[in-house]
Amino acid sequence: MSLVHRQRAKDKWYLPGIFSGMGLTFRKMVKNLFNREQMPTLNYPEQKFDYSPRFKGNHVLTVKKDGSLRCTACMLCATNCPAECIRITAAEHEDPTVEKYPIAYEIDILRCVFCGFCEEACPVDAIRMGPEWQTPGVNGSEFVYDIRHLAFRPQLKGGIVSVVDEQERHKAGI
Amino acid sequence: MPKCTINGQEVEVKAGATIMDAFYQLGMKEKIAHYCYHPSLSIAGVCRLCMVEIEGNPRLQIACNTVVTEGMKVDNNSAKVNEAVKWGMDFHLINHPLDCPICDQAGECGLQDQYMAYGKYEPEMAERKVKKRKVVDLGPRVVLDSERCVLCSRCVRFTEEVTKTNELGIFNRGDRSEIGTFEDRPLDNHYSVNTVDICPVGALTSKDFRFRQRVWLLKNAESICTGCSTGCNVNVFFNKEGVFRLKPLYNEKVNGYWMCDTGRDTYKPINRDARLLDARLSFGGDKAQAKVEYMIPLMGAKKAAEWVREAKAANNAKSVALVLTGQYSSEEYESIVSTFKADVGTDQIFHWVNNPESFESFDGLLFRGDRNPNTKGLLQTLQKHGVMDNTWKDLVAGLESGTIQTLVVAGPLDFSVFPDLQEKLALFAKAKRLVWLSSGKSELVDASSITTVQIPMRTHVEKHGTYVNHSGIAQSVKPALSVVAKAMTLSEVADVIAGRNVKREEASSPIGKRAQNEFTTQRGAL
Repeated sequence: MSLVHRQRAKDKWYLPGIFSGMGLTFRKMVKNLFNREQMPTLNYPEQKFDYSPRFKGNHVLTVKKDGSLRCTACMLCATNCPAECIRITAAEHEDPTVEKYPIAYEIDILRCVFCGFCEEACPVDAIRMGPEWQTPGVNGSEFVYDIRHLAFRPQLKGGIVSVVDEQERHKAGI
Repeated sequence: MPKCTINGQEVEVKAGATIMDAFYQLGMKEKIAHYCYHPSLSIAGVCRLCMVEIEGNPRLQIACNTVVTEGMKVDNNSAKVNEAVKWGMDFHLINHPLDCPICDQAGECGLQDQYMAYGKYEPEMAERKVKKRKVVDLGPRVVLDSERCVLCSRCVRFTEEVTKTNELGIFNRGDRSEIGTFEDRPLDNHYSVNTVDICPVGALTSKDFRFRQRVWLLKNAESICTGCSTGCNVNVFFNKEGVFRLKPLYNEKVNGYWMCDTGRDTYKPINRDARLLDARLSFGGDKAQAKVEYMIPLMGAKKAAEWVREAKAANNAKSVALVLTGQYSSEEYESIVSTFKADVGTDQIFHWVNNPESFESFDGLLFRGDRNPNTKGLLQTLQKHGVMDNTWKDLVAGLESGTIQTLVVAGPLDFSVFPDLQEKLALFAKAKRLVWLSSGKSELVDASSITTVQIPMRTHVEKHGTYVNHSGIAQSVKPALSVVAKAMTLSEVADVIAGRNVKREEASSPIGKRAQNEFTTQRGAL
């Protein structure tokens, strides 16, 4: 690609360039001073941007009404994941109506591309993409989220309850 | 020999053959839905899904129980057939739970496949599903979920006709009927996992494989079972974590459609946690724990070659002896025996029979007492090189008199079939140096009291080879996956001992190719 650079007066001379540049700066400053709501920057981290509810941030594993994990370890999310960042180890549950559940569910968040295919694949609303997007950590292991983080981190206040309820489905005869 | 036309294709079948046989004869190129029919079991005709339209017959007939007549024109693609199969399907699914996410059969399930091919309807059943027992512990290897069962009775016919043990039956009537065992007695015959294989749905699942992996995450490759000298043909299901299960493959001459439960466990010694990963040189005695050297397998083989060379240099080639088990392929035997005869110059070659008392036993179906895949191949090689006359007593005498000082043992790939391991190791400890070739790690060998080098070997799924079964049928296998990439074959060890160039056999596996894409397999250090 070739760029044609035309020499204009404000590029050619020192003062016109300075005045036009500073003019823009002062114009924005005055505008922002009198109209602070529309100011595009914000005082992070005291102020945070409000993303839309459809924002796809860090994953959340939902729970049943009794507080246990909703996930049935069907591995559809792991199968669907294009980044292959989900690792599930399934085990036999003592309750025959539950049958299968994950004893380990790990998401390597640094490999995750936040595409949301996992929540699309999930048949039981067990995994959702939450609103959180700040993911600090001091070493690699803190970026591999386990069940404790995904389902029961303090921000979730005891867990998000899934919309699919097994007991109700059993009662409805499904 | 009546001729018939299946969907416009002409087939000539044997007299008395059914329409289903004609479909099978076409190699299932023309798809036909069926659950209860199995080619090696009797015909039950209960699933009513193999409906076909026969020209001149006003009603649809089931293909599995209709005998082909001359000039019969069969069609199973017509709208009438598809409609019948679709609503037949609806009846099957009335009480079938929506367990696909947690069902082990998902991905290889007859109901899923046929629903996608013929069904795709809105269910018209307003009644509630009948709840039945779930997670019934049917036996040491099988778990039953009677809700998922479609009552095709394949498993019942299997225990009735193949194993003749009659454990399973159908109990109750109507929509409450379910399969089970009388008074919940265990289903513990030696072929019980075959019922899991023939179950078209997820009603019977294998305890060993249950929940360990989803089937669509596994690849499969054809191989043979090394559990006994029958050499059943198997499909090996594996992924990058290792092998997960074996399923029988049809071979009319060897195993038919079945394999035994013991054979199902033969994948366990293949997996990494049972394997010897590096060559291990230990010096025995009290220093055993203190002085152990680990090296790559090739260096281990070079150590063995050095010992053999030392014996040759001392003009004492006869002090080197080779002990072979029936666990390796014919090519490997040929290579190592000819190396020892020609290059080393010793005829001290012995055959280690692991269980002489039950060696000739046979359970009447598949399982044989000779728990080695290639005893026949070994004997053929020994005969060819004229070293059949060496008996085990000669080895014992040689070791006790001290004439045999360096012992090369092509040890077991599967330690569980060598109950005499400890006893034999005590005998081998009478030599001065032991070269132990084996794919598995064993604490007994690690604790050897003499100077020992252990060299990791490849298993039968990691190399090319021919295995001769009890009846003399030679079966070739190709490598399916690579578990311990550095491990060697017996031929490679023979090359090192003889001082030839080693031709490494590269294990080609679909996973190997995939691993080259480092974006998906390896992330840099953080």
